Amino acid sequence: MMIGAVLAIVLTLAGAILAVGARNIVHAVFGLGICLCGVALAFLVLGSPFVAAMEVLIYIGGITVAMVFAVMLSTVGREEPREGMAKRVLAAIGALVFFGAGVAIILGMPEQITAPVTPEEAWSVEQIGRDLLNRFNLVFEALSLVLLLAIIGAITIASRSDESHDPTAGEGDS
Amino acid sequence: MTLHAWMVFALTLFCIGLYGVIARRNLIAILIGIELMLNAASINVLAINYFVSPEPAVGQIIVLFIIGLAAAEAAIALSIILGVYRQRASIDVTLLEELRG
Amino acid sequence: MNHELLALACVTAPLLGFAVALIGFRRRHSSAAAIVIASGLVSLVASVLLLITARPEAQAFTARWFMIEDFSIEFGVLLDGRTLIMGSVVALITLCIQVYSLYYMASDPGKGRFFAFLALFEWSMLLFVYSANLLQMFIFWELVGLASFLLIGFWYEKPSAVAAAKKAFLMTRVGDVGLFIGLILLFQTSGTLDVLGIANIFEPHGLPESIAPQRIELIAMLLFVGVIGKSAQFPLHTWLPDAMEGPTPVSALLHSATMVAAGVFLVTRFHGLFLDAPTTMTTILWIATFTALLSSTMAMVAKDMKRVLAFSSISQLGFMLMGLGAGSLFAGYFHLTTHAFFKALLFLCAGAYIHSSGTNDLIAIGRAGAARRMKITTIGLVVGGAALAGIPMFAGFFSKEHILSALHGPGQMIFKIGAFGAAFMTAYYTFRMVFLIMRPNPNSQATPDEPAYPHDDAHGPAEPLAMILPIIVLSLGALVIGFFGDKIGAILHVEHIHHPTIGEMAPAVVVALLGVVLAWIDFGRANAKQRGFVSLVPAAEKLFEKRWYIDEIYNTAIVRPVIMIAKLCYGTETRGLDKGIDSLAYSTAKVGREVARGHVGRLQLYIGVAVVVVASLVFYVGMR
Repeated sequence: MMIGAVLAIVLTLAGAILAVGARNIVHAVFGLGICLCGVALAFLVLGSPFVAAMEVLIYIGGITVAMVFAVMLSTVGREEPREGMAKRVLAAIGALVFFGAGVAIILGMPEQITAPVTPEEAWSVEQIGRDLLNRFNLVFEALSLVLLLAIIGAITIASRSDESHDPTAGEGDS
Repeated sequence: MTLHAWMVFALTLFCIGLYGVIARRNLIAILIGIELMLNAASINVLAINYFVSPEPAVGQIIVLFIIGLAAAEAAIALSIILGVYRQRASIDVTLLEELRG
Repeated sequence: MNHELLALACVTAPLLGFAVALIGFRRRHSSAAAIVIASGLVSLVASVLLLITARPEAQAFTARWFMIEDFSIEFGVLLDGRTLIMGSVVALITLCIQVYSLYYMASDPGKGRFFAFLALFEWSMLLFVYSANLLQMFIFWELVGLASFLLIGFWYEKPSAVAAAKKAFLMTRVGDVGLFIGLILLFQTSGTLDVLGIANIFEPHGLPESIAPQRIELIAMLLFVGVIGKSAQFPLHTWLPDAMEGPTPVSALLHSATMVAAGVFLVTRFHGLFLDAPTTMTTILWIATFTALLSSTMAMVAKDMKRVLAFSSISQLGFMLMGLGAGSLFAGYFHLTTHAFFKALLFLCAGAYIHSSGTNDLIAIGRAGAARRMKITTIGLVVGGAALAGIPMFAGFFSKEHILSALHGPGQMIFKIGAFGAAFMTAYYTFRMVFLIMRPNPNSQATPDEPAYPHDDAHGPAEPLAMILPIIVLSLGALVIGFFGDKIGAILHVEHIHHPTIGEMAPAVVVALLGVVLAWIDFGRANAKQRGFVSLVPAAEKLFEKRWYIDEIYNTAIVRPVIMIAKLCYGTETRGLDKGIDSLAYSTAKVGREVARGHVGRLQLYIGVAVVVVASLVFYVGMR
């Protein structure tokens, strides 16, 4: 348990730092993958194996791969100028200030809770399925609609190439 | 591991994502930062769910919704990035400043 | 017959006619006219059936409009003697005028609109007359004002018509303010909006102890202010002559049985209340007598045929109010009824002459030989004139006798003298009009204000059926309605009608005949100079022609100062306030442009700043 948690945290943070710090965008996507593995591990530790599985399936299997495709279709192999030092420092300051605020809030919370308050069987996939299709049916349907719209929107936006000139045309990439 | 520790961990992940969003100039990198922030939120929800929730299934369902929305958001964002690239041959966010006064 | 259904049909048919004609058939003129006339016919049949089958007691059919706590406001139809007779008269006159307009407005490009407005007018007037509720009464009173505005200004491309419509609307509005306050006070005093309920409070003579007499005086006075405006009494009478700018059928409709009659009808409606307010009654007598005399003098010198009739309307309304003011409901109401017939008849005759001669000028119409060409119209003119002048056996004679005999109370001698004077002048100016049209002669020294433009009558008859039929119907009405006095009294539940004796009648007859004879000497006999006895005193003639300069006085004393104030406000508005607001807007836009320059277009900078600000807020809130 403890080891799992520590491993999850280390993986996650290391992956995250790689994801935001890597100069090469492909490396950054790779870092994101590592980070998401760590998050999935954290979910497992937090007693939600089903959500962890979904995380792996959708994030690592779907989103990360889609990003790789996007990189391939756009800037692959191109060396980009690094961000200016001042910008990075300012961004770090902003993030740190936010971090400080968050820590202040968390430490302001009253009690230290160390153990789960619910029995294990309440975490079952069956319970999730029931709730999803009964209590949260409306949200579920709304989300499916959102996904449908996202698919249609993505196709529409990405395929609209008729009026704009295609800079990659003639360069041989498909 | 206490709830506080988990929450600080989630906050750290969130701030790293925030840094990415603010600092990076590549649109895909910014999108990666956003994904990190969303994951931080998911960890936070699950941690609270694990430690204090009377109905543990609810937190997991919320996280599932977050994942679903993140997928939708990523699809749209990537298609927009491709559209931008087609039009300007670049996905550098600092060049997208047409609304400047 | 089911009275409720009949009443409903009577008051909704014109509304339907109006809506259908205006929405569906504004450009299809004949269809619009047919629809409106059909609706008018329905109203007439329904109201006459209601009148014939009327129950002796009053009936009210109401429906709730809305409620405020336990107080419900209802709309409905009240059927009692006063409303039944008036409703039938209104429906009959309106139908006659609608038929008449078929030909009169035949070639007008706005014929469909005209008929729709006629229906609107009829609807408002009928529901005003039949109204069972004070609020409903006021609403339809105002709707009558609106419809008359639309009709007077029907030829809206004519500036004088627009000005006349505006004037009529504004002048009556002055009175309406008084009326509205009066109605509110009446409601406050009686605690009910129900017309019948209010009538029951005041109808048994003698005031309820709970109501202060001063309060009743105040209410009656305020109601009478509304009547002054609507029924064109001095000092708010100046709109009526100008309202002649509208088409002649409109003048016939507005100034005989309907719009101006609404004011008098209001007094008859609340006559019980007025009887409890003796001071107001005396005021009514003074104003009515003065108005009757004043407008008669103006009618004696007017050359415009419609204006003569307009002045005569004012004066006859004064007569009605004299009868009511003297305390006789029957006299005033009877005159209201008879006047509706013969005045509408006279206006329609005038319209026929004007239509064929192309001028409003009496002298020009006479010289154009209209009387010879249009025999039936001329007969109608003589019948109407005789009724107006009070020649025995014609309608106006009976009702005028009743009014004169009602003026017998103590201290009413002066009003009786005034009434005789007005009756004399009425006979004189009426037959001046008749003789000027019928007996033009080559030695005449009268000068027309405008020449005649006879129509090219090759394409149409001089007296088409659509014009002649209403004139015949109304002539018969003017001939026989006078004999129905007792019947009307019975329907009104007047216990004992005081029938004037021969001895009482004689002076009035003598006075009327005197007027006719004088008119004959001045205008009628062969080789008459046709100048009138008023011209012996040029100053008086000038005064009368200028309508006692009342319009000029209003212009100088009221209109010009108001316009000056308006101009001042306009200047302040445009040069002061507007400019200030403008510069505020311009400077805002300028600031916006300047600030936009600092807008760098760096999305990430904004996110970062937002994050820092949120975090600082959290710190700040956390520290407290």
